[in-house]
Amino acid sequence: MATHQEIKESLETFCKNYNKNDKLRVMNKDWDRVVLVKATDIDSEHTLELKNGVVVLKEGASDNPEMTVISDSETLADLFYGDITPTEPYMNGTLKILGTEEDILRLDFVSLMIWGE
Amino acid sequence: MNSLTRLKKVLKLRTIVATGAGLAFCSSTFVAQVQVAGFVAGESAWLAILISGFMCLLAAMCFSELNGQLPSAAGIRLYFVRAFGDKAGLSVSLLYMAVIMGVIGAESYIIANILHEVLPAVPPLIWVLLMITAVTVINIRGIKLAGGFQDALTYGMLLSLLLMAFLAFTTYEVTFTSLIMPGSIDGLINAVALGIFLFVGFEWVTPLAEEVTDSSFIARGMMTAIGVLSISYALFTVAMTSTVPKDILVASPIPHFIFAETVLGRGGAVWVLILSLAATFTTFNAGLISVSRFMYASARENILPKIFSKISMRFLTPWVSIATLFVIAVTLSVIILITGRYLILVNMAAAMESVVYAMAALAVIVLRKREPHADRPYLVKGGALIPALTFLIFGGLAAAVLTTETRAAFYIALGFLLCFAYVITVVPYLKKQQVSKTSARRRKRRRPSRAVEAPEADGLVKK
Repeated sequence: MATHQEIKESLETFCKNYNKNDKLRVMNKDWDRVVLVKATDIDSEHTLELKNGVVVLKEGASDNPEMTVISDSETLADLFYGDITPTEPYMNGTLKILGTEEDILRLDFVSLMIWGE
Repeated sequence: MNSLTRLKKVLKLRTIVATGAGLAFCSSTFVAQVQVAGFVAGESAWLAILISGFMCLLAAMCFSELNGQLPSAAGIRLYFVRAFGDKAGLSVSLLYMAVIMGVIGAESYIIANILHEVLPAVPPLIWVLLMITAVTVINIRGIKLAGGFQDALTYGMLLSLLLMAFLAFTTYEVTFTSLIMPGSIDGLINAVALGIFLFVGFEWVTPLAEEVTDSSFIARGMMTAIGVLSISYALFTVAMTSTVPKDILVASPIPHFIFAETVLGRGGAVWVLILSLAATFTTFNAGLISVSRFMYASARENILPKIFSKISMRFLTPWVSIATLFVIAVTLSVIILITGRYLILVNMAAAMESVVYAMAALAVIVLRKREPHADRPYLVKGGALIPALTFLIFGGLAAAVLTTETRAAFYIALGFLLCFAYVITVVPYLKKQQVSKTSARRRKRRRPSRAVEAPEADGLVKK
């Protein structure tokens, strides 16, 4: 089981890599989204705010997210550190992403752009 | 889901019903309706259609339970892999996607014939190419049908069916005895089995689970869609068979066109042409979206070659998967246009759908045993009775179609063997290749607490 701090650090790593990727920032400049990241086995909620191609991490839940990423703490930490791809846990049901199909595809693509295959 | 995790973009029940009904409703359903009528005596096809609809309701209950437990765009693939393991689950999912592509071939044939009737100067192949190209371009550009447009399209189509049926009933006479005497029991069973095809695709609405606020909407939406379709189909089929001799309808790939022209003249023919175009367009679109996303996800998981996970940087759509499907759809359509054997695809789809529904029912039973404490927002009441009944009914219906249509049985069996062989030989190779690529690149894991574990995990020896 990962800790709340580990999830936070993984999300910080994710944000850092996202924001330094110029291609991603240009590509997502119109993709403004509020993403809630929620662990199922520990009390841990974070919000990723994407605006004008930049992502900002916030502690706690947002009132009105457009997407919600739900999984156990281990999967979330591994996922945002880029140690695993989202597809496998998503397809086997460990990872749940509530949102539109286009947003889910885009999030997967973002992870592909940051971490590679 | 609590209010804090509620999504901004949500779908309404009306749109879920429209999407479910719209996915099932296509030009091939008119052909299937008259084929159903061909199996029973008189004008009793409505009886078979309502029985098929009722059976699909049982399957919808099973899908609702599975969807509530595992709300994911992966849909049946996830349910089957969880219940029956990777190999069987994947093989059936791959075959199912192939059969969906087959329906596009049958659709092309029907719509090309109708368009050729109206504008004989243009060869059918041109119409097929135009239609498939248009849908492919829309898909590659990532343009999606808005909920309101889908609502207008589906409800407009259903209203048209009811209106045409009403106009036929006011002009042509239907005798009561012909309505209630279906003839032999074998004929009725085959009619019910083929009737399942009329509802093919209602369960494709389950991936929308991630876009609705209340998961019970999916269950209610699926069931309402089946109810609305059952009534519309039943009335329209009786209207067709009581207006035009059944043997003429059964022998034609465009029975609804013949019917509309008989009842309403040229105006009716144009009306049905628009109806058919809209139905085929939504089916092509839904088929291409479902199968291309399935291919993309499978490629990301190393089940299909990596090339299928390529995404357009401009439109963020899996363009290689979509372009490949364009080639497959055109090839299939050309084969069907040349051979004219569209009915075999309809039979295969009916049989495959029965197999999938039987497996969904079995998955409910298996997952209840395997994961008894899993959260199930929708639970089919009455213990294992309904899932068991659904499994027996659809297993029986699949057997009925496959024993009657031996060619369809042969192709399905061959398809399953090919998919299974692919899953046990090619998939492990693709996965192994990816593992060696990743371990060469990721000798060290990024997560600090895992960084020291990685070398052993990758099979590397520390110095």
